[in-house]
Amino acid sequence: MTTLGDSLRESAVFNLGGAVTMIVDDSPFSLTLTANALAGFGIRPAFTVGSGGDAKRILQEKPVDLLVVDTDMPDIDGFELVRWLRRSGLNPNAFSPVIMTASHIRRGRLNQARDCGANFLVTKPFSAAMLLERILWVARDNRPFLEVGDYFGPDRRFRDEQWDGPERRADRMGATKASNTVEIA
Amino acid sequence: MTVITHVQRKSRLAQMVDKPGGISVGVALAQAKANLDGLQDQAIALIAQNIAALLAPPTPGLPEKMRLEMAYASSSQIIDAASPFAMDDLCIAARGLCDLLDAAPRDGGFDWRIPTVHAQAMKLLLALPGDATEARQAIVDNLREVLRRKLGAGQAG
Repeated sequence: MTTLGDSLRESAVFNLGGAVTMIVDDSPFSLTLTANALAGFGIRPAFTVGSGGDAKRILQEKPVDLLVVDTDMPDIDGFELVRWLRRSGLNPNAFSPVIMTASHIRRGRLNQARDCGANFLVTKPFSAAMLLERILWVARDNRPFLEVGDYFGPDRRFRDEQWDGPERRADRMGATKASNTVEIA
Repeated sequence: MTVITHVQRKSRLAQMVDKPGGISVGVALAQAKANLDGLQDQAIALIAQNIAALLAPPTPGLPEKMRLEMAYASSSQIIDAASPFAMDDLCIAARGLCDLLDAAPRDGGFDWRIPTVHAQAMKLLLALPGDATEARQAIVDNLREVLRRKLGAGQAG
């Protein structure tokens, strides 16, 4: 069980009472668990949704500040939903922080987990403390969003270190020259 | 490969998190714990229900793929329900079973004694008192050994 992280001091104060939050999970009990944990944090989920399709409909109409999305759902799964959201062009929802939760990730879905564009994927078991830590982390996550090939989402590099060697990732993606970078404010 | 960088505007979440008011982390976690504690009996009932589903004889004529998916769903729901209540050994057992079911051939040949063994082990874990540390560890170690033998060392963490 993950314990309280260093970034969570008991006396630290945060204010997410006004966050319009959406939970997407096909399991009614998991929805209840997540909603109750969030309520404890002072976040009253505005939308608790049982399917990716319903989530899509709401996201097209209402701005949402934080999404907590289960990965494994029938029809539209969590990865597909987040991938759609990032590419949707919806403003501001396409850039909203997304935390994905997974009880188990199928081997065939590992690449989707990495490439769907979520800010964070949390695998169970996780404690309420860990969930809160991740929420506060994504609230302060200032990584830029990148469009790279088929990917659209937060920069997947967590560390900002200079690398003097060859750009092998670009080679793997089939590029023959160094990457071009375009910055959009 | 072209990389387009969208410089992040501050999200609404970022704008509100440090505003005056709100609650402390300590209070938030105490409130979350109180809220979740009220759901623990329901979680245990759900775990027991899914263990029973794993132990139930299969519906005659059910295709192998469907049977695997149903067992995977049961095992996955056990993780969902056990996760917030520090029932980590149950989660390890259920996650191991998910790994094995995920790796199973969809066209037949899966050893269905594996879910039965896991379900019986989970039933025992659910019944054992919390302080039966050695017995719990022995069960988890045995299941890890099953996983190691079936899928290789890399999966048995």
